[in-house]
Amino acid sequence: MTEVMSGPAPYIYVSTRMRVRKAKLIQREEYLRMLNMGLPEFTRTIEEMEYKREVDELSASFGGVDLIENALSWNLAKEYQRIIALAPGEMKGFTRDYLHKWDIQNILTILRGKVQGLSEGKIRAVLVPAGELDAAVLDRLLTESSVERIIETLPQKQMAAILSAGLSEALETHSFGKLENELYKYYYATLIKAARGGMKGGLPFFKYVVFEIDIKNITNLFRIRAQGKPDVNTSDIWVEGGSYHAEELERLCSVAGLDEVVDTLKKKVKSPVLIEALESLREKKPIYAIEGMLITAQLNQMDNVSKRNPFSISPLLVYLERKKYEVANLRALARGKEAGLASEVLEKYLVM
Amino acid sequence: MAIETMTVEAAQAMAVGYKAIGAGLAVGLAGVGTGLGEMGIGAAAVGATAEDRDMFGLALLFTVLPETIVIFGLVIALLLLF
Repeated sequence: MTEVMSGPAPYIYVSTRMRVRKAKLIQREEYLRMLNMGLPEFTRTIEEMEYKREVDELSASFGGVDLIENALSWNLAKEYQRIIALAPGEMKGFTRDYLHKWDIQNILTILRGKVQGLSEGKIRAVLVPAGELDAAVLDRLLTESSVERIIETLPQKQMAAILSAGLSEALETHSFGKLENELYKYYYATLIKAARGGMKGGLPFFKYVVFEIDIKNITNLFRIRAQGKPDVNTSDIWVEGGSYHAEELERLCSVAGLDEVVDTLKKKVKSPVLIEALESLREKKPIYAIEGMLITAQLNQMDNVSKRNPFSISPLLVYLERKKYEVANLRALARGKEAGLASEVLEKYLVM
Repeated sequence: MAIETMTVEAAQAMAVGYKAIGAGLAVGLAGVGTGLGEMGIGAAAVGATAEDRDMFGLALLFTVLPETIVIFGLVIALLLLF
């Protein structure tokens, strides 16, 4: 079959498909209805939704909330793989690069699980093979005897080099936090390089990457401030390539007043959505509320960019992110209901 | 300086020729415009239908809407020729 790869038609085709899929995602009213459901009713609702096939496939191996959680993860992974297959031309490359963060998450999960001595089955249950490393590769990595062997056999050599360089320190300190930072820095540097490589459609992608880096840095800034340890060296956690310089963010960690932090952050950004979100941070809020607001701002900004660039990578990215948060919301609802949390508490953790 | 002369028959034939060219351009350009319009609408219609079969009727309707432009071109061509 001949595939049309030139002209705007493939972009229009894929963008429309993503818009239709986005429109089918669970809406706020539906989440509010789910909040009032009991666990059995909630499980039935999930089974009747887009996740039915995965629930049926996995029902022989899992049960209860584990079944729901695994079905959600598998659905997300399959959906992302299908989108990579659908995306035309440069859009495919950008999508692959963007989904690379799932590889980072999966590898870190495997390493952390192995170090803590968890069984392969338990680690496998929380993996989401939505990136370049598919389920078969992840399974192979899981069977390796040591963390050193996992890193050696990792197909992505640059990632392996970063992991090798920081592994001994991570094992000594029992923390993979620094390695995680290094991997994400590498990830965003790769995205910026791809977006600025002169490929068609790179500009909206670049703008989005910068925005995501800003959100990540602001989230980290508020996390550090919430911990109340601004004297700790934070110079190596900031991701380069966004609107803010590392020195500036580091200084803001130890500034006492929230107003000064918000005013400084506001000076560098143009997005009205982010400015509005920053304004609302003038009063002291718990970190989960701040993160929720920043995620909402990020998603709304993505919506705006996708409306301005309807036939670009933007509608696809919006769908990828919205789908991710749908799965996260459903997972939070399932686990929260199982733990018997009140719906008012659960609602605060949902991204709607 | 030589003055070119034209017979009445030749002038009439030339007028018919220009009309034919005009009619051809009216239909042809309208067809190209329609094609360009339908390219985007068609791609979006197929994408929407691929996700939701119920959209087929509406998508088909939107896809054929630019066809009216060809009809305008055809009307102009017929007015020119007859």
